[in-house]
Amino acid sequence: MAQFEIPDRNITKEMRYQMGYALSDLAYEHPEIVALDADLRSSTGLHIFEHFHPDRLIKCGIAEQNMISMAAGISQEDYIPFPCTFDAFSRRFMDQLYITVCYGNLNVKVLGAYVGLFTGKAGATHQSDKELSLLLRMPNLRIIEPGCNDEMRQALRVAVDNSGPFYLRMVRCEVAENEIYNGYKFQLGKGVTVVEEGADMGLVCTGYMLKTAKVAADKLKKKGIKARIDHHSSLKPFDRALLYDLASKVQAMVILENHCRSGGLFSIVAEALTLKGVGIPVEVIGTDPDDYIHTGHINDLLHHYKMTSDDVVEKALKLLKLN
Amino acid sequence: MEKLDFAGISRVWQPFRKDMRKYRDVLNFHEDYSELLINTEILSYLIRSLSIYEMTCAALGHPGGSFSEAEILASLFNYALRFDPENPSWNMRDIFYLSKCHACPGLYAALSLFGYFPVSDLKWYGSWGSHLESHPDCLRTPGIEISGGSLGQITGVAVGRGLAIRRRGPDHSDRLVYVLIGDGECNEGSVWEAFMAAGHYQLDNVVFLIDYNKVEAKGFLHQDLSIEPLADKLAAFNLNTYIVQNGHDVSEIINLFTHIRVQRCGKPPAVIFNTVKGNKVRMCQYNPNWHTSAPRHIEMAREWLEELWEADGKRLGVPHEFCQSLGNMIEIVPPQQENPDEISEKQA
Repeated sequence: MAQFEIPDRNITKEMRYQMGYALSDLAYEHPEIVALDADLRSSTGLHIFEHFHPDRLIKCGIAEQNMISMAAGISQEDYIPFPCTFDAFSRRFMDQLYITVCYGNLNVKVLGAYVGLFTGKAGATHQSDKELSLLLRMPNLRIIEPGCNDEMRQALRVAVDNSGPFYLRMVRCEVAENEIYNGYKFQLGKGVTVVEEGADMGLVCTGYMLKTAKVAADKLKKKGIKARIDHHSSLKPFDRALLYDLASKVQAMVILENHCRSGGLFSIVAEALTLKGVGIPVEVIGTDPDDYIHTGHINDLLHHYKMTSDDVVEKALKLLKLN
Repeated sequence: MEKLDFAGISRVWQPFRKDMRKYRDVLNFHEDYSELLINTEILSYLIRSLSIYEMTCAALGHPGGSFSEAEILASLFNYALRFDPENPSWNMRDIFYLSKCHACPGLYAALSLFGYFPVSDLKWYGSWGSHLESHPDCLRTPGIEISGGSLGQITGVAVGRGLAIRRRGPDHSDRLVYVLIGDGECNEGSVWEAFMAAGHYQLDNVVFLIDYNKVEAKGFLHQDLSIEPLADKLAAFNLNTYIVQNGHDVSEIINLFTHIRVQRCGKPPAVIFNTVKGNKVRMCQYNPNWHTSAPRHIEMAREWLEELWEADGKRLGVPHEFCQSLGNMIEIVPPQQENPDEISEKQA
């Protein structure tokens, strides 16, 4: 058996490795948990799960469609399968997820690894920024994009505790243990106000972009602009009440997502505001829906797609007509 | 089985087993064996007849595949599978997945005959609000193990199910998972991913059944995209390959199912059933035009029922009144709402 290095859980901050530990911990509590791998385990973090539970990692080979079908069958014998591969490869099994898993409301928990830009140099084929467009339209599917390791652990537990299909979008890179606040409790279908400086500018974010929003809020504060950050890790179901509350209190909003600027968080927000008749200036931070993610260092990608905190500040100032 | 009052079915047929949770061993008992064969032939006749009934009521359905699979379904439900219609989720049951989901009229007929729901429900196949969808929905129809309709997915589900059953340990070791796959469906690459996984994991509790009727929706398999040499391919994927020469001969099917159950050998069995698409109705046989299409009108359906009775019902001792009374019960179910906007849509 190939030997992979097992990172020290007290040192590593990468979400993928912390996911591997978190799933292993949950598996001690829940003997019905199994994981499914499509030949990416040391990249996704599942090698850590295999280290602790060698007989509970089911190797499916490079056959993502069949991995999802197998997970469906496994779930029907009261196991809780966690199939895991790169989020980009969800494009290969969308129909299996839509028909076999979600139509039947089966208890399958898909782990989408390497989401969005923060897997620098993976390139157009291995980076994912369009997938929410279809995932968000799958009935019965719940979708969570955690912003820090603490939230990721809680989201995994919620996925185990709630029957039915889940999709977790997770980044590869290092993230903080807790970007929200001490004692934060993740709730399915609920967003959370992370920063509440006042009522000039609303920053609405999900997943990794919470960190960018916080950096941007600090920069805005130095310019005398008070920001409120609402973090929506639960993309489906989505907390419209929190969004409407924000819209009623700020002058404008910037939406931040580690996904393209169509079909994801921005589309959720735009639909919700339009249907409510809320006319508020909105800008969006995300990748280009009409382009592939070309290969490059993460720094260069973030600058190309204008996804840095400086871009957030610039858009906020423009919305407030201050620049 | 008071639910079999429909069209006088209870006077024509009762399930061969009193308790479907148990096998009934027949091969050592000559009279029982003969009874099983005739009983299963009548069941096949009823599956075809009720398929005609429900498809005509619905102006919807897939006769070709429903007719080619009739003897396979009949042998499974009457003999090979252990299940409990009173408790469809009984956790010691064998599993039957229909992967060629479009052939569900045949499966719905079989499920109703075994008491999962009243046979009279078949009238509402495809109607708004009915539990019998165009393609099966496991959340709505008792006895349906998985939702589907997009081909090539359920073979892998069967592999996952077999793997999970093996993980559950010795108490579950004699449970089998059967999956019925279309021959055209074998064009889908994901079917071969599933075969590869089953061979790799040596899942001899998963039985692949291929309804090799040679015809697909718009043509013939050997012309559009051949799957030959099928037996060689299956063997090359580490499956234990069997060929049923006549997939409409219940004795050949039953003997093979017995063999597969008692002779497990560490390799997943894969059975090629040589069948005839649209079998027993002349205009449907080997004809892609009747892959998707219900009888156009009630008279046509009655002619089909008559033809079935001449071919099978008569020799099996089914009174002609059954065929007539079923034909008289056909009623094309109208939509519940008026046409809102002068929409013109023709039956498939």
